[in-house]
Amino acid sequence: MTHLLNVRDLRTWFHTDRGIVRSVDGISFTLERGEVMGLVGESGSGKSITGFSLIGLIDRPGRIEDGSSIRFDGRELVGMEERQLRRIRGKDISMVFQDPMMTLNPVVKIIDQIGMAIRAHEPASDAEVRRRAVEALARVRIVDPAHKVDQYPHEFSGGMRQRVAIAIALLHRPRLVIADEPTTALDVSVQAEILKEVKSLVAEMGTSLIWISHDLATVSSIADSIAVMRRGKIVEAGPVRRVLETPEHPYTQGLLDALPSRSRPGELLASNATEAAGKMDFSGLGGAAIGAPPDPAFVEARGVDKIFLAQAGALRRFAIRCGLARPPVPVRAVSSASLTIARGEILGLVGESGSGKSTLGRILCGITPPTDGRVTVGGAPVMDGNRKHGTKVQMIFQDPFASLDPRRTIFQSVAEGPVVHGFCTRGEARAYVDRWLRAVAFDPALADRYPHQFSGGQRQRIAIARALAMQPEVIICDEPVASLDVSIQAQVINLLMELRRHLNLTLLFISHDLSVVHHLCDRVIVMRHGEIIEEGSAAQIFGAPKEAYTRMLLEAIPRPGFDIARVPGI
Amino acid sequence: MASFIIRRLGQALVVLLVMSMLVFAGVFVIGNPVDVLISPDATQEIRRQVIAQYGLDLPLWDQYLHFLRRLLSGDLGTSFVFNMQVGTLIAQKLPATLELTLIAVLFASAVGVPLGIYAGYRPDSIAARVIMAVSVLGFSVPTFWIGLMLIMVFAVQLGILPAGGRGETRTLFGVPFSFLTADGWAHLILPALNLSLFKMSMMCRLAASGTREVMLTDTIKFARAAGISEATILRRHVLKLISIPLVTVFGLELGSTLAFALVTETIFSWPGLGKLIVDSITSLDRPVMVAYLMLVSALFVVINLCVDLAYVVLDPRLRHGRR
Repeated sequence: MTHLLNVRDLRTWFHTDRGIVRSVDGISFTLERGEVMGLVGESGSGKSITGFSLIGLIDRPGRIEDGSSIRFDGRELVGMEERQLRRIRGKDISMVFQDPMMTLNPVVKIIDQIGMAIRAHEPASDAEVRRRAVEALARVRIVDPAHKVDQYPHEFSGGMRQRVAIAIALLHRPRLVIADEPTTALDVSVQAEILKEVKSLVAEMGTSLIWISHDLATVSSIADSIAVMRRGKIVEAGPVRRVLETPEHPYTQGLLDALPSRSRPGELLASNATEAAGKMDFSGLGGAAIGAPPDPAFVEARGVDKIFLAQAGALRRFAIRCGLARPPVPVRAVSSASLTIARGEILGLVGESGSGKSTLGRILCGITPPTDGRVTVGGAPVMDGNRKHGTKVQMIFQDPFASLDPRRTIFQSVAEGPVVHGFCTRGEARAYVDRWLRAVAFDPALADRYPHQFSGGQRQRIAIARALAMQPEVIICDEPVASLDVSIQAQVINLLMELRRHLNLTLLFISHDLSVVHHLCDRVIVMRHGEIIEEGSAAQIFGAPKEAYTRMLLEAIPRPGFDIARVPGI
Repeated sequence: MASFIIRRLGQALVVLLVMSMLVFAGVFVIGNPVDVLISPDATQEIRRQVIAQYGLDLPLWDQYLHFLRRLLSGDLGTSFVFNMQVGTLIAQKLPATLELTLIAVLFASAVGVPLGIYAGYRPDSIAARVIMAVSVLGFSVPTFWIGLMLIMVFAVQLGILPAGGRGETRTLFGVPFSFLTADGWAHLILPALNLSLFKMSMMCRLAASGTREVMLTDTIKFARAAGISEATILRRHVLKLISIPLVTVFGLELGSTLAFALVTETIFSWPGLGKLIVDSITSLDRPVMVAYLMLVSALFVVINLCVDLAYVVLDPRLRHGRR
């Protein structure tokens, strides 16, 4: 029997004004019926473009070059007429995307979206569409599908929406499904459920699956074989176990070494990006924290509550009094949270989205005032009324693209705070900023460029330098590595560990990624529905969790069928 | 939902009240109608009588209260010039304007939106470039000039369409309308086209930019990956996604066209509200001006309310968010 999919020398190039971008540059692979292949690579490696090439959805100026060949079930897809391609799309090959918020149309009912996908390939009566839609939702284990089909996407949670997208992709029992980072935007526990479900669905239907991801751990838990992409080429391919146990290409080895789950907690991670960025230079840096005496309760929060309440207008208040309208429902984001962080400690704060971990972080930083409770740093309150007090606490945010002003140069962004707060004069600013940029291994010669000229990792380092330049004693990191590639993530983690060591900083590290937290943090706090439910040293939490919820989170960490941490060669 | 409508109606009342004060004070500042109404050689006695008759001797706040009191009983006052009820006067002229603007705005949407969607769907095609270039012209060339050109070409040179007037009308619900007769349509077509060009360009550009944006989203990619045809994607996905800004502009344009169609109405001697307000301003006919401006604000308030209600119909997220 022939292969289901046989890709030979696939080249997808983008012909732009600035020259040709070779996004996919001569890759070849085969896929058997029922096989699950993981396609792994960092951003810009061409893995998504490969997926879109297979389904024939390359937008101009990109095109599949002559001489490329994609044979699907004996038919050549390259150069096929658009009309015929459309007959294959959704019926024989379908696709699931990363962000379930973006893929479903927010203003069209689920049943209509499913109906359109059904009728794209076969005529169906309204009654039949309804029957099949309910069936499709039931297949992806959506509770009460008969009622849910008439709802709109915003009435579904992120995981449910991704299930709907998967249901649509599986409508016509395709022979190949391409999944492009389908669980990246989801919580760990939801990700684990969806991985399990997709695995059993494709096995049951005999569908082949190409799972595109930047996350080696997820891929290894679902795939039979794996292909590692870098700069448009497949650098290594083979059965998943072989590739992970005895990687032949140094790039694959590097990706594996950068995974926090593969090295001992607290050690610096092996990272090409760290070496590429150059050395961190800590000379000439100041900071109140250096040489400060130990203090077991340096940061202290006592009984912190945060309730968000929508303000009702005058008319609405009147209507509420008359019983015509319901009063706004208060949202309890954080309830009676108490914690301490010792000076020089890294405390991990974990929980799923909506657990209140970011709100607690903002309260500790003094950005959001708590409804009740008290936060002190070194004995002094962090807020003075509704205003932030001093510069002792700084914050680093998740998205380095959004947290830097695109219209200011790096120098302007970093210098603003220190000049305003008197850490340096305007005249000294240049030398002052350079020192902090060198500390995060960023070349000060580039400081007059704008943020868009830098990569995600560089920007996150700039954001860290900006926080450091305020000479803080505490830094609140809100998911600082969540949007970064593995090797860049390793670099930022290394940086944070080095900074803590040299500057005696105290860190609160908020994350949903438990393997990173395990690697970096001394102590861990687990939050759920705004409450702190478990607290302990990293070894305790990860070794012997007490709460069922913590155990569930730990079990949800994707793992391959074998123990990746015991793989030799580290 | 009900509380939302009640709240909006409450706000509308406040807006109208404030508007009535502004209008009343503003009109008072423009000039004294007595100078226009009474011939210069009238005796002092006649002058005094006329001033008292129209209530112009009272202080402004007193006049305003009188006005409000009459308004509440549905009486908009009597025109100084025509010596008839302002309500009747406006009711006579309103259908003509209503007819003209509705046809113009509907025409603008029916032509502009599909052209815009096409231009946004294939932005690199020659047709799209032509559409976008012409739409810039539609924006920038003054309405009066286009109106004059239309008359020059179709009425004077070719002589196939009349240059002005309403033509033959037929009565519907006791109100005369032009669009019910062929002659009426011949009279309608030029002014309606003239009035709609600007709006058409606006709708077209708005639809084009919206479509371009939507076509790049994952929603469309996902729909294409499911094998859904391009026609279905445009009709069922794109049109729904771009409809909210379109409805906003449709509402605003409908309001402003109703209120300020006067340039076109003047050029094509269309016997609508525009002509009435121009005449009443020159003759300082205060009751007509006040009533007209109040009517315009009321129209805007009503149209905006309709637009807000349309949002709720179009965007399910609003419907459920407001529970």
